[in-house]
Amino acid sequence: MSNQVINLLQQLRQSALSKNLKALISYHEEDSYLMRFANSAISLNTNEHLISLDFIAFDGRKKVSYSMIVDPADLASMEKGLDTLSEMLPHAQALTYEPTFPVYERDVVDERSFDPALAALTNEERLAYFNTLAEGLESDDVKLSGIFASGTTTTAQISTANEYTQYFRATDAQVTAVLSSESLKWEVNAEQSAQKKSDLDAQGLHADLALLVQHYQQDQAAQIPVGKYTVVLGPAATAELISIMSYYGMTGGALMQGYSFLKEEDQGKLLFSEKMNLMDDPREVEIYAQEADRFGLQRKPFPLISEGRFQAFMWDQDTADEFGKTVTGHDVSRFSLVMDGGDAPFATLKDLLEMPRDEDILYIPYIHYMNVVNPTQGMITGSSRFGALLLKKDGSVQVPYNVRLTQRFYDFFGEHMQWLSEKQVAYNVSSSYGRRDPTALKIPRFVCVKEIEISHSNPSY
Amino acid sequence: MKDSIRKYIDQLHAKGAHYVDARWYPREDSNFLFMWNGNLKENNASSQSGMGVRVLYNGAWGFSASSDLSNPDAIFAKAFDNARIASERVTFPIRLAEKEAVVGSFNSPNKIDPFTVGLDEKVAFLQKIDAALNQPGVVQRISMLQFVRKQIIFMDSEGSEIEKNIIEVFPSIQAMGIDKDGGMQRRTYQPGRTAPTRGWESIDETDFLHNADRIINELNQVLVADDAPNGKMSVILLNGIMFLQTHETIGHALELDRILGYELSFAGGSFVRLEDFGKLQYGSEKLTARANALEPNSPGSFGFDDDGVPAQDNLLIDKGILVGAITGRQMVEEANAKAKKQIFEGSSGANRATSFYRVPIERMTNINIDPGTDGSLEDIIANTKYGLVLDGDKSWSIGSNREQFHFACDIGWLVEDGQKKQVVKNPTYRGETLPFYNSLTAVGDESTWNVHYVDNCGKGAPNQIMQLGHGVPVCRFDNVQVGE
Repeated sequence: MSNQVINLLQQLRQSALSKNLKALISYHEEDSYLMRFANSAISLNTNEHLISLDFIAFDGRKKVSYSMIVDPADLASMEKGLDTLSEMLPHAQALTYEPTFPVYERDVVDERSFDPALAALTNEERLAYFNTLAEGLESDDVKLSGIFASGTTTTAQISTANEYTQYFRATDAQVTAVLSSESLKWEVNAEQSAQKKSDLDAQGLHADLALLVQHYQQDQAAQIPVGKYTVVLGPAATAELISIMSYYGMTGGALMQGYSFLKEEDQGKLLFSEKMNLMDDPREVEIYAQEADRFGLQRKPFPLISEGRFQAFMWDQDTADEFGKTVTGHDVSRFSLVMDGGDAPFATLKDLLEMPRDEDILYIPYIHYMNVVNPTQGMITGSSRFGALLLKKDGSVQVPYNVRLTQRFYDFFGEHMQWLSEKQVAYNVSSSYGRRDPTALKIPRFVCVKEIEISHSNPSY
Repeated sequence: MKDSIRKYIDQLHAKGAHYVDARWYPREDSNFLFMWNGNLKENNASSQSGMGVRVLYNGAWGFSASSDLSNPDAIFAKAFDNARIASERVTFPIRLAEKEAVVGSFNSPNKIDPFTVGLDEKVAFLQKIDAALNQPGVVQRISMLQFVRKQIIFMDSEGSEIEKNIIEVFPSIQAMGIDKDGGMQRRTYQPGRTAPTRGWESIDETDFLHNADRIINELNQVLVADDAPNGKMSVILLNGIMFLQTHETIGHALELDRILGYELSFAGGSFVRLEDFGKLQYGSEKLTARANALEPNSPGSFGFDDDGVPAQDNLLIDKGILVGAITGRQMVEEANAKAKKQIFEGSSGANRATSFYRVPIERMTNINIDPGTDGSLEDIIANTKYGLVLDGDKSWSIGSNREQFHFACDIGWLVEDGQKKQVVKNPTYRGETLPFYNSLTAVGDESTWNVHYVDNCGKGAPNQIMQLGHGVPVCRFDNVQVGE
């Protein structure tokens, strides 16, 4: 734990108090590294070290905020940020409800997801990892692309209410490796999420890529007919579906804003497959879980779906304040979603390809550019990409050109769910649009669903 | 600071760096106000400063950025070290297309700096708009104001020194209601270019009040409407969806880094190949598209890109034939070398970074469709047998090579025998990019053309959000799959 961070927060708290501000002061520091590959070369090697502060000032029903990316040595600028808050506050409009002011009741230090070895990963190690995963798979036509993103995220909070602080530190890595044919324009990929250095397994990615490249080079590519298919989803597809479903369906904000496909009276109802168990679980270190939320509430395992029954909505502080609801420890920048595995013994791509089958199965590892067509119907659309395979019932394999599917969440996670892999994997869904915020889900390696409608099928790569 | 930057650039150059540039942001301010159902949910101001350094060494890029400017030497050293490591895996040594050293400046056009306007005035504006949106049928109402002001100092080892001062203003409103089947519906208004400048003065209260009434009227029609029909028919795309169609299936598809495979691990590739330039029938003869970074008063007009190349107006598609791309200095050299001929004469000046801590990549400028000769919207409707007029960008999903797409819109109007009939809800359409643009059968005239601003274009790893514009007319496409 960095005393420097806590000292800075204590200093800023004193400064806020001296300005008669009732404020929440939040610290965010990222040390981010990204090695990007394209056309079998390192196309970019970058790092960013950024420190941000967020101030929120409260005055009864008034609330204003000020954010800064700061030079950590420049205390004067930070003080000016607090001055800006003071200037803004009188002009703010009062809310129609009383916003909760955070009062921490204990010091929290949560570094369970921090691994010094991953934090200290070198450029040489990132390059060696990629060299291993691609070894022997590149050619004049087949080129390597990908990213190795890793970093450390430190967040901390203090409020002017007292001297208690919250401090969180996590390391994360996200690897995407793509092999693509320059002439034919096909692509295959393999991905890995890591919380600690020992999670990194370049050989595992190599095995998956080698298998996919073999099929994409040897097996016939085809425009498959549109219609209903039994589909096996890979971890990327499942993780993104769960992520979007939970955000659009299971948050109090989505419910109150009228976007959710779930209604308040749906709590307790059997709406999903009885095979389906989904929980927000702050005990899961490998998906960067945090033990307390931004308002100091202790986070606890929070069932969302239990044996198919939808359990409850997740409430952040502001929405709960506005609508008179009880907070659930979900004033967090990321959930810690865990979907239980099932009893299917398929743990690797090789297992899946060798699985005995009496029907054609479409393997879709990744749904590209997923978007919500109709939130109140829980309907999404997206297309396949990266290594889809049609596993024919005669044991052969075809390579399908990309297909589009426009389906409801219930079509994936409802009565048509067939089986789930026993093995679960962590899948990193972190976005780097804004500040580093390591986010991952733990999900079954494969999820099999019947009667998924393919509405469009490309005539070529 | 400038003297220090110049010194560090020269030092790295002397150490063997082929090229070095630095973008120093002395200050970037933003202000975001977000009112939801009368509550000012977000009332945020922010500021940032820092520097990003890019080094080209032995054919490879290294980049480093920091908000800690107490030791700029460390940023330069780290960028150099990152390039040194990257140069251990090079397949095509990076070269940069020639450019003249530029000493210049750019100021985006504005009269009233929105950061000089008091919070009271901004909140009062939102309150007035919120009250206007608070009408029967509306269950959720949103109004927001977003302002950005940034100063950027660019310096490179070729002697360029450019200062840019940019102000962006993005206001928008939205009204939502529950339809007869229990579904959430919405209409939005985000003004495009309404004035010759885009400071606070561009926020026209009268225009917002007028459009608040319009979108509520349209929303209330959607709430009682039947679903859009399924099947193949004509679609007439108004500016509020045509801008996005252009953005996703012309703009992104013609970014040269994407064509060359530099986005494969994130956003995908492009169906376009280098051999397609000058030959590919991208669309019908009615389609002429351009990347016009000289379009007056748009976020896609920025004076100089982050390679230091002056802004330009370049054709992308000329009467249906693919002729150009969105390019920066690095990619044009690589494309010409790979094609073994000169496809591109030089950078088109489209390499931009979203902030000091991101590296420049090919970004859209103003990707425009030229107005056509098929008259007004009313003329186009009058010449349509059966189809839908569509507006609003409800959702979008594009194939990984931009080869196919699916869009959902906020509202549709049925057209039968040249007559605009009733409103329909939940309209969607999908298609394949090339057949779709080759089915372009009507392009509206100047009366249908407007510049639409985009404040949230995402691309790149690490991800970047960029601001740009699309000047588009109303367009009609025939034989389009609607309703799946």
